[in-house]
Order: sequence, then C-alpha cells, then structure tokens
Amino acid sequence: MQTNISKKDNNIIVEFIGRLDTPAAQGLSKEVSELQKDADKTITIDCTNLEYISSSGLRIFLSLKKATAQKGGKVIVKNINNEIRSVFMMTGFLNLFEIV
Amino acid sequence: MNIKEMRERAIKRRSRWTGLLLILIAVGFLEVLSLVQAYYAQRGIRQEAQAKAEGQLNAAHSDIMNIVNQAESAVRNSVWVAQWCLDVPDSLPNIPKLLVNNNPIVAGSTIAIVPGYYKHTHLLAPYAAITNGEIINKSLATAEYDYSSQEWFTKPIELDRGYWSEPYIDKGGGEILMTTYSFPIKDRNGRIAAVLTADLDLGWLTVIAQGIKIYPHAFSTVVSRNGHIMVSPAETLIMNKTVNEFAASSKDSASLNKLNRAMLSKKSGSMSITHEGVKSMVYFKPIERTGWSMNIFIPEKEMFAGLKNVNRKIRALQFLGLLLIALIFHAVAKNQLKFKNIADKKEKMENELHIASSIQMSMIPKIFPPFPERKDIDMAATIVPAKEVGGDLYDFFIRNEKLFFCIGDVSGKGVPASLVMAVTRSLFRSLANHEDSPKKIVSSMNDSMADMNESSMFVTFLCCVLDLHTGQLKYCNAGHNAPLLFTNKISSLDVLPNLPLAVMKNFEYAEQEGILHYDDAIFLYTDGITEAENSDRQLFGIERLTKVLSCRKGALECLQSVQNAVSEFVGNAPQNDDRTMLFIHFLNGHNKKENTKTITIHNDINQIHDVFNFVESIAEEKKLSPTLTSNINLALEEAVTNVILYAYKPEGKKECDKDMPIDITAVWGNDELDLIITDSGIPFDPTSAPKVNTNISADERDIGGLGIHLFMTIMDEVRYDRINGKNVLTMKKKIV
Repeated sequence: MQTNISKKDNNIIVEFIGRLDTPAAQGLSKEVSELQKDADKTITIDCTNLEYISSSGLRIFLSLKKATAQKGGKVIVKNINNEIRSVFMMTGFLNLFEIV
Repeated sequence: MNIKEMRERAIKRRSRWTGLLLILIAVGFLEVLSLVQAYYAQRGIRQEAQAKAEGQLNAAHSDIMNIVNQAESAVRNSVWVAQWCLDVPDSLPNIPKLLVNNNPIVAGSTIAIVPGYYKHTHLLAPYAAITNGEIINKSLATAEYDYSSQEWFTKPIELDRGYWSEPYIDKGGGEILMTTYSFPIKDRNGRIAAVLTADLDLGWLTVIAQGIKIYPHAFSTVVSRNGHIMVSPAETLIMNKTVNEFAASSKDSASLNKLNRAMLSKKSGSMSITHEGVKSMVYFKPIERTGWSMNIFIPEKEMFAGLKNVNRKIRALQFLGLLLIALIFHAVAKNQLKFKNIADKKEKMENELHIASSIQMSMIPKIFPPFPERKDIDMAATIVPAKEVGGDLYDFFIRNEKLFFCIGDVSGKGVPASLVMAVTRSLFRSLANHEDSPKKIVSSMNDSMADMNESSMFVTFLCCVLDLHTGQLKYCNAGHNAPLLFTNKISSLDVLPNLPLAVMKNFEYAEQEGILHYDDAIFLYTDGITEAENSDRQLFGIERLTKVLSCRKGALECLQSVQNAVSEFVGNAPQNDDRTMLFIHFLNGHNKKENTKTITIHNDINQIHDVFNFVESIAEEKKLSPTLTSNINLALEEAVTNVILYAYKPEGKKECDKDMPIDITAVWGNDELDLIITDSGIPFDPTSAPKVNTNISADERDIGGLGIHLFMTIMDEVRYDRINGKNVLTMKKKIV
C-alpha cells in the first residue's frame, strides 16, 4: 500500500495505490489527521490504482467526508474499480460521495 | 356369588374330595398292612406257642418217663430175685415187700403165679402195699378176685414183655388213680411162671400236667391207651368217661373225634379245636411205653391276647396318624387355596405389569425413522428389558431445530425401577420442553428426584442437546457410561461422571460441549449391552461392541447388528439387565464438502495478510472470479479483524491479550464455501449487532459497524455459535 498526497492551492489529491486493508488503514492515521486539518479544501481521492478496500479504509473516506462537511470542504472519489464500487454500494457510500 | 367365590369353593371342594380320597387310600393301605402284619404276627405267635407247647410237652414227657423208668427199673431189678424165689414158694411174699420197701414210688406190688405152675397150689399172689407208711401184706388169690383173668396178669404173658395197665381208681386205698406195671417172670427153663407188678400212684401225673401253665387258661389232659381221661381240669371226667364218649356227648364232636383219633393212634402234632365256643390250639404228644397221650389246650383268645393288645395300640396309633393326615390335608387344602390366590394375584400382577410395560413402552418414541422428513439425522433406539418392565429409558424429540435426547438406567429392575423410569422420563420431557441447557435439565431433574427419593433408587442419566444446524452437542452426564463417538475413528465421548440422579440434592452438574460434523454419529447405551454375560460368565464388552459398530451402516441396521451380536454372544444365558441403545447419525453441519483448509493466526492485525493469502490460495485452487475473491476476502478480513481487535480485550482493559489464537477453516465443495472462524475470546455474537443504516447522511452515520455490515451483506449465511467456550462464526457463500 502506497499513499501519495499532493497539495495545489485549495485542492488536495490523495492517491491510494494497492490494498487499503485494515493494517494499511491503521498505518495512515497520521496522514488522515493531517488531511482532516485541510478539511476546508477539496480533497480528491484518486482510486485509480486502489485494488481493495476494507471497512477500515472506508472509515478514512467517511471521516474525511465528515470533516469536510464540518469545515466547508468536499471529498471527491475518483476512478473506483468494480470491486470497490460494489463495496461502496453495499455500504451506501455511493450516495455519500461524489464519485467521478 | 361371584366367579372368584365359585372358583374358591370349587377348589375347596376339590381339595376336600382329594383329601378324603387320599385318606381312604391311606386307610385301605393301613388295613392291608395290618392284615398282613396280623397274619405274620399270628403265624409268629402260633409258632412261638407251638414251640412253647412242644417244649412243655417234652418236659412233661421226660418227667413222666423218668418215673415210668423208675417203676420199670424197680420191677426189673427184682426179676432175678423173683426167679430165684420161684424155687422156694414160701419166700415169694418177700419180693413185693422188698419192692415196695425199696422204691418209694411203688405203692403196691404183687407177684402172681401162673395157675398150675405149682402142682399143689393153684393160685398164689402175695401182695404188699404201703399205707400210711406201713407195709401191709395180703393175698390177691381170693375167690372173688380172679387175678388170672385180670388184664395186668394176662397182657404181659400174652405179650411176653412188660406192660402198663389201663389206669384205674383204687377203691381200697382211698380213690387213688393208679396204674400197674407188670412184667412176666420166667423160670430157669424159660417158662413164664409169674407176673411181677408195681402199682403206681398217678397223683404225680396230675401234678406234672397241671404244672403246664404257659397261658393262664391253658390246660393239659392225659388220656390212656383206651381213651380214658387220666388227667383233666374237669375232675368229674377222670376215669369216668373215655374221650370218645366225651366227644360223642359234645356239640363239637367232629373236631374232638379228630383229635381223639390222632391221640389214640399215638401221633404227635397240633390242631385247632372249638369246644363250647372256645377256639383253642391243641398240641399233643404220645408218652412212650405207657400208651398214654398228653395234650395242651391253649385258648386262641389267650394266645393272641398280646397280639390283640398290640393291635389295639397300633390301631389307636393308626387312627391318630390318619387324623393327623386329615388335619394336614385340611391345612394343605386351605393353603392350596391361599397359594391359588397368590398365584391368581401373581397372574393379575403380571398382567398389570404387562400393561405397565406397554404404557411404559408407549411413552418412549419407538417408530423409526422417527423423523422421516428430515435428511439431517438418521436415528434409531431400542430397549430390551430383562424383566417384564425395565428400568432403562431413552427419549428424544426435536424442538427449535435442536434434538433433545437422553438415556438412563435406573438402579434395580422390575416394577419399582420402571416407576422411577417413568418419573425420570416425564421429568425430562417437561423440563426439556422449555429449557435448552442440559445442565439445567439434569440439575432440575436431580433436585426433584432427590426430594422424593424415599426408595433410595438412583438413575444414571445422560442428557444431550444437539443443534441440528451446527452439530453443536451440549451434554450433561449424571453418572452414565460414556457414549461412543464416531468421527473418522471410534472413540468414547469425553464425559464427566458427575453423580447419578437422585443421589444428592443441589449437586453442581457440569455441562460439556462437543461438535458433531457431517457424517459423525453418536451411540448411547446402557451397561446391559457391554455387561451382557454368556454362560461362561464372560462379558460382551466394549471391544466387541466397537467391532460390531465399526461397519457404519444405517442407524436401525447398526442397532440390529448389535442386538444380534449380543444375542449370539450370550446364547442361552438369561438376560440379567435391560439393554438399551440409541444411535444418532448426524448428516448436517460442516464438512459436508470435500475440501478443507485451515490456518491459525494470532490476534495481530498484520496477520490479515496471511488471511488474504489464505483466501487467494483457495480462490486460485477453485478458480474463483476476482470480484468473488475480493468479496470473500473482504468478508473474511472484516470478520477476522473484529476478532483480532476486540475478542481478546477483556472488559476494562485497553490492550488486547497478546498471541491469542484464531482458527480459520475454509471448507468447500462444488458450489459452496464455508468459512469458520473460531476464537476463545469473550463471547460476542456479531450477527446480533445493530444494523447499519446505509441510507442516511454522513453526519448521521456512525463511524463503526461497517465491517460486520459488510460480511453480513457479502456472505449468503452467517451463523454465530458459542461452542465449548469458543466463538464460532460460520459464513457460507455460494461459489458457482
């Protein structure tokens, strides 16, 4: 699992590469709290190379969503594969996120 | 009158008749016996009397002969003197004088000269007699008394030997019964010259005859050659009548004549004589030389008086004996009625037992297969009581997809045991109807039974509850023997003994758990099976049982083959204990798929990668689609993560216990994959966790709960069980 975070003005792009499983999600706690500070901005989560996500990964998505909702920012989920789409569907995340 | 009374009367009557008949037979037998006895006794007595009489006759005979000999000797000893004196006729009177003087038994004597022997004297017979101690001399040669014609003179000359005369009453000497012995005297030329006589007083004969007193009324008579009665208790007859005259005057002449003939012909012997109504035995014997005959009359009445006496006593004893027999019969007849009553009661009781047995058997399910519509279990049970009603029991029923079953063995057999058995069974039914825990069922049963256990009976009991979905087996044992467990091998189910039911109230029973997998089976039995004994006192034993059961056939066939094996083993030996078996073949639960894979991880979140690889390997093996693989991976990760993060974190602690194991088993067949996660952490049932609402806004949504929601959504079926202190989460997914 690899995570690339890039900031450009009000746009933050987070790229998840590989498997966002529970151990991976736990390893991202620092990054996540950094991102939550920038919750007034637009956070784009690039899932082009995300193979897999578990509930712990979904929590990161949800916590970012909650934070941006509070601070006036927004979360955009980009390029999810079919497997992740089905997970989003199962969890109702399709309705929570702006997916492009 | 009711039938029973009629029967009793009939029995009484019958036994009374039987008794009477038997008594009559006894009487007859005793009668015959006493007749035979009397015959032999009489014969014995007769023989004895005869011996006695003969002895007495012989003794009297020798006494008489003694005197006869003395008299004869006295005469003979004088013969030579007489011969010598013939030449000197004047000396002749000395001869009788000497004879009388020298021989006290001789009362008188004469020497009578044959007429013409002396030319100058025609008759010459000097006589001497002893009267009052003095010797008197006289001559018998008188005109009135012609001695030459007297029998005592003519007979010895005629016979040319000594001769005993007929007895006679001596008128001159005082009415004395006398007899005379005469002997011819010859001169030197051999001519009979004179007859020398000796008169004998026969008083002694009476003394001898009267001395014969073998019985109080026995008597003796002596008769002369001519039949004159010489001695008789009837004194008037003496020398008055001959026996023939006496016989002629008697009513009983026929038998008397017969006796007379025998006696007068000098025979000895015995005969039975009836005279004047008195039956007597007469023994008679001739007396040598004198021509007399002597007899002894013994009245039979007296002869058999002793016998009669004895007979009377015997009769009395016999009567008493018969009375005793009658009493015994009476008592026996009475008892027979009693026995009959007891037998009736026994029969009645046996009937009731039979009914009880049917009721008892109807209590337990005995139609097999009991659940024909179910494919998940195949079961059968049998009970073979040793007696009419047994103390063994089994029972089973299904409630809420759980099979409740039990087996028990009441101490003792017969009716008491069966009653306890019925109580046990109904307690089990009523408790198990609303209670799932075998421990609680058994404890309640124990408490109830211990309360009412006045007969000190106890019950070994094993109560089991099998979850027909999972194969989870909960059981609680109360002193019963361990069942056999059939997995890929045969073993004994691990059971704690605890205590039999009804032994101790409030005993803390321990509950145990196990799991039956697909195709596993359990065999419950009572010790009547393994302890079935053959005639050599060998036990059937668990080895034989295991061997018979190892073939693994259907439930009914299994029990049948055990029964056959036991029957064959015991042969003709009597069955001494109930034989009860219960066989359950479980055809549900896990493992019905061919493939199994298991990994054990620890509660470290990084081990999720191993779980991932585990799923990938199965997916590869099973050629699962990436989407399906991903979904299964996700579900398993979520379920396992849950366990890793929470199961080993006791309440109040922040950190988890380290290195705690988690078993993950995957089982799959053609169309289904089962994932079973087992941990021994704190009980937690994720299936009962609150549902996640996926239709609400992010603000409203809780951050957690998604993991459970995911695996519950992904998998087709998720079950949680707590088995043997472990959380068992089973997730099923169609993989077609």
